Amino acid sequence: MSALAPGLLGYTFRWSIVPEVMGELAHGVRITLELSGLSVVFALALGLLVALARGSRLAPLRIAAYVYIQLFRALSLYIYVLWIYFGIAAAVGVNLSPLEAGVIALTFLNSAYMAEIYRSALGAVDRGQHEAAFSLGFSRPRAFATVILPQAIRVAVPSLVNQFVDIVKDSSIVAIVGTSDLMGVTTQLVGYYRAPFELYTVLAGFYLSIVLLISAAAAVLERRLQRHLR
Amino acid sequence: MTAAAETRATAAADVVRAEGINKWFHRGHAHELHVLRDVDLRVARGEVLVVIGPSGSGKSTLLRCLNFLAPPDTGSVTFLGETLSRESVPRFSVGARLDYERRLRHFRTQIGMVFQHFNLFPHMCVLDNVAAAPVRVLGLPKREARERALAELERVGMAGKARAYPSQLSGGQKQRVAIARALAMRPQLMLFDEATSALDPELIGGVLDEIRKLADAGMTMIVVTHEMGFAREVGDRLVFMDEGRIVEEGPAREVLAAPRSGRTQEFLRAIL
Repeated sequence: MSALAPGLLGYTFRWSIVPEVMGELAHGVRITLELSGLSVVFALALGLLVALARGSRLAPLRIAAYVYIQLFRALSLYIYVLWIYFGIAAAVGVNLSPLEAGVIALTFLNSAYMAEIYRSALGAVDRGQHEAAFSLGFSRPRAFATVILPQAIRVAVPSLVNQFVDIVKDSSIVAIVGTSDLMGVTTQLVGYYRAPFELYTVLAGFYLSIVLLISAAAAVLERRLQRHLR
Repeated sequence: MTAAAETRATAAADVVRAEGINKWFHRGHAHELHVLRDVDLRVARGEVLVVIGPSGSGKSTLLRCLNFLAPPDTGSVTFLGETLSRESVPRFSVGARLDYERRLRHFRTQIGMVFQHFNLFPHMCVLDNVAAAPVRVLGLPKREARERALAELERVGMAGKARAYPSQLSGGQKQRVAIARALAMRPQLMLFDEATSALDPELIGGVLDEIRKLADAGMTMIVVTHEMGFAREVGDRLVFMDEGRIVEEGPAREVLAAPRSGRTQEFLRAIL
């Protein structure tokens, strides 16, 4: 009984350290936002390209996009981060910073999911919209940019936002290669202060706040975009 | 006038001429469907051609072949003296394909089409629906395109709704905007694909009025419709289609009053 007591009951809460580490945590938040922000921008763009290739009239492009999507959805982010940061560095001699490796891994992985989101959203645009645009003399690229994509985006926004939220959460995994993001910073602080409960609770609070902020912003965006649709 | 000169004169007066059009859906598959069989069609300048026939007879597909929304598998379409056919495009020549698509777009800028389900762009206001193609396709300055769009909306009585979105309009209003959108390209030919079939009965009249006004103004048109009264009144010539073929053709009043083909008689009896 007495042997267990220090472990269970001897834990003294030291919330007072929290203000001390706020500066470092804020820096971690910045890195997390940078990591997920860059990843989401790149993944949005790359995902659209993959979706276009997936729906291309050229069979080789279609097949390449299919393979890409299957490949990046099959394995976990954990594996990709390690493979890119340690594997690529060892094999090719390219030395990426942990942050770069993280952005690359998050981008590739999420672009595959986003490609599928785009694909179904593009498919949801009525065939008549293509016909109307073509009948007016629009070229394929112009019809796509002016008529099809704006409508598809409106359909895709909720799913794309979910994906963004996933990116923020998954970005914590990137800390295994030593980024000083929110997760990485917190892990270091826990090692130093030995206050895991307090620090991980604060950490959770930060992630929760970021995610809630994104959801709120998305809700506003969605309302604006849907305003004129049936 | 010699026979050849006469042919040339009539040919020049034709706005559109389709020759030997065949179209299959799912060509080469087990469920292959031969939707157009050796169809020939001519429309002279200022003429209103009405196309009638049971559903599935190929009327809509024929219209879509004329502006290549559904490119004919065989045959050619000559529009204002320029001939286009998909057959003649070498399959693996990128240059030839690009040239074909460029010419095809040129065709389409001069052929207006009005659809059964309007197909307005839901994310644009009425004015932008009409001004979009003049800006993006014809390259008109925005101001000029908007003035033109507003004038066309005025013509169909929709200028007051220029800032509204399609979702806020009735079916009849949507279709009038769709007509304005097609007219803003200053087309030489208008195609109406069952333009009133999706409308509530009380809204049909207003849209038919717009089409009638266009006919009175001398617009060349092909009108696929189930409105026989309208066909008789506005149509110069009428084509009856069945099972992918043109079964009967003649002056609209005559065909409707005294159809020669048994199939036409049967169809008219069934719907009147």
